[in-house]
Amino acid sequence: MQRNVCHVIALSLVCLAHVAAAQKIKVVATIPDLGEFARRIGGDRVEVNTLATGVEDIHAVPMKPSFAVLLNRADLVVLMGLEMEHAFLPGLLEAARNPKVMRDAPGYIDCSKYVTVLDVPTTIDRALGDQHPMGNPHYNLDPVAMKEAARAMAEGFAQNYPEDRASFTKNLEALEADLDANIVRWQREAAPLKGKTLVSYHPDMVYFAARFGLQPVGTIEIRAGVDPTPSHIEELINLMQREKVDIVVRERHYPAGLAETVAQRTGAKLVELPMMVGGVPEAKDYVGLIDYDLRALLKAVQGGT
Amino acid sequence: MGCTVRNRQPAGAGLVVIAFSFLCATSAGAQSVEELQRDLKAMQAQLDALQQKMKKEEELIEKLSQQKATPAAPLVGAAPVATPAAVAPAAATGPEPGSLEQRVTEDVLRKIQPSLAAANKTFPAQFNPAIGLMLDTVASYQENGGGNFEFRSAEVGLSASVDPFARGYAMLNGTNNGVSVEEAAIVTTSLPYNLTLKGGRFFADFGRLSKFHDHDLPFVNRPEVLNTFVGGESQADGLEVSWLSPLTQYVALTLGAYNKIGADNTQTDNNVPRALSRFTYLARPTTFFSLTDANSIDLGSTLAYTPTVNDFNTDGTQAGNGAARYLSGLDVTYRYTPLGEAQYRGLIWGTEVLYNSEDWNVANVASPVFQREHAFGLYSYLEASVTRRYHPGFMYDYQQALDRQQGDLASYSPYFTVWLSEFQRLRLQYTYLSAPADHQSQFFLQWTALLGSHVHGFRDR
Repeated sequence: MQRNVCHVIALSLVCLAHVAAAQKIKVVATIPDLGEFARRIGGDRVEVNTLATGVEDIHAVPMKPSFAVLLNRADLVVLMGLEMEHAFLPGLLEAARNPKVMRDAPGYIDCSKYVTVLDVPTTIDRALGDQHPMGNPHYNLDPVAMKEAARAMAEGFAQNYPEDRASFTKNLEALEADLDANIVRWQREAAPLKGKTLVSYHPDMVYFAARFGLQPVGTIEIRAGVDPTPSHIEELINLMQREKVDIVVRERHYPAGLAETVAQRTGAKLVELPMMVGGVPEAKDYVGLIDYDLRALLKAVQGGT
Repeated sequence: MGCTVRNRQPAGAGLVVIAFSFLCATSAGAQSVEELQRDLKAMQAQLDALQQKMKKEEELIEKLSQQKATPAAPLVGAAPVATPAAVAPAAATGPEPGSLEQRVTEDVLRKIQPSLAAANKTFPAQFNPAIGLMLDTVASYQENGGGNFEFRSAEVGLSASVDPFARGYAMLNGTNNGVSVEEAAIVTTSLPYNLTLKGGRFFADFGRLSKFHDHDLPFVNRPEVLNTFVGGESQADGLEVSWLSPLTQYVALTLGAYNKIGADNTQTDNNVPRALSRFTYLARPTTFFSLTDANSIDLGSTLAYTPTVNDFNTDGTQAGNGAARYLSGLDVTYRYTPLGEAQYRGLIWGTEVLYNSEDWNVANVASPVFQREHAFGLYSYLEASVTRRYHPGFMYDYQQALDRQQGDLASYSPYFTVWLSEFQRLRLQYTYLSAPADHQSQFFLQWTALLGSHVHGFRDR
């Protein structure tokens, strides 16, 4: 009898251990691009939820209490960093009461760790707009920077779950190989964009432009995060006419009217672009996002609209 | 990389010389055939190992050379295209000891070390809290009272982590009446079971807008119903514990015990010790419903219970009869936030209904006669975002007098907020006040600015 009881207990413990091992790692990603990478790197081991949707402005994601619930249950949170999620993530983490994913805890994975940051301000002053003191955080449109983000993410996953390191590394390699193949293709396809000048609504095309050889000339916003004044628009139009700017980019979460006006008055081509995965139906995944943005720009410079 | 290629040939030549010498030495000795065969096998193994190592180095050099041959990125500073093989092992295990990669890494690190060391120097000020300063000033004109330039406040906010277990914050408020500590509290960050404990002076978790600082309100003035029922901001000295339920539905519960609630509540003195029955106890459950991606509702209710309200004023006159006070509230906030244009379009409707039950002296101080009075009040406002800058709104405010000895008060306030930037705001408000023996128009122009550090807190959403 005693022996049977021991067997039952042992079997129960084995079952419990098995259930525990099979439990998925709960990952919360701040943007869909990182969510996709988390799924690819984590594979079957992870269950991923994303806070922002692709159509949103990352600087204005609503602080929904339901997000606090997701973060409360999370084992890991993956974020772009560089204060990109400043508008919603710190407040949500405070409400989530989860020490595992609090800022700088092991479960708080800042994917900007290895990214070479652009637009790092030399002067920190609010007179210069809603500055990101650590530099421009919109690196998700640069596939090479996103490879670095994937590397930081895989490293973070492995640090928290060392028993799955081999699986994460293998998945990372597959993701990187996929990106590498596409990067070569994108570089080739983007050749006609080299040297083309652009104005965007917000300085979120900087990394994309650097990667594919475009030149940002200015922004419709007077400063990052500050709506334009009429005098700024006049100055911008004068500058664009002088510089013969080729493209006006309207990020799809910014208003259409002003971008259209600027494009019409300067003769630049207006291109409407999603900034994140899911921003348009065609941008189903990260490759789809870069494909869409590149082709939209190519269409504009090669004679289409 | 070039140096390594040059070094590779002498290394190979050296290897052959060593092997030849070794062969000569062994053949010259008087050794048996077996010994010679063993030595030859050992030598062969060494040669194989060295060849493997050289092959690996050649592969690495080839890869690095290919990277160098890749067209340069358009901007200096952009990350180079690295092959997965070069990145993944480094990410997982770091460079192989003695490898070219390790030598390159060490060389780079040596070069940037002085900069790293400079950046990592610790200054005592690095541990200082984040500091922000909020300036709030109002120009007003009241039909029955004239105009005034009102310096409302200069409020300094400080916040930082205390240690791995708690954070702290303080709001020091300078007004025309002097400097006061509006809030100064310690909040735990790592309690188990989704619990958070807060202690010190803070805004008690009563309703929604009672917890907002004056400058953070959606309108110029705090609704009169909150001033009268709660005592302005819900400032309280005490202890509060809040709990987030483990349900998938957001449900949070706050329980608190305080000397009193309300910065302007004069019924109790913060500095006088009291019996447990004279503290105010609070319970507040809240929840949230996401109707669609763009539509949501926050729902909360609060009960503040004081078992025994103060019997006597500080001057010895009788203030109450020691009966209990119940102050309860229900708050609903509806938000429409179209996700694709959250900064430019939106709607918020917020309403709080309050109910107070308390004994009041309905006679006079000399011969008091206490009677239980029930009073009710509410405010409701609707605010739209029509662009990122322009936010028009309307607020209705109604209250019954707590002792029911005076008539009701109501006010109607259309307002228009202009956000010059995220850190500077202008607000124009008209209020028609209908109070007993006081019907008047009031005009306000509020100018608010934030300097320094700011956070988007969950409480102020």
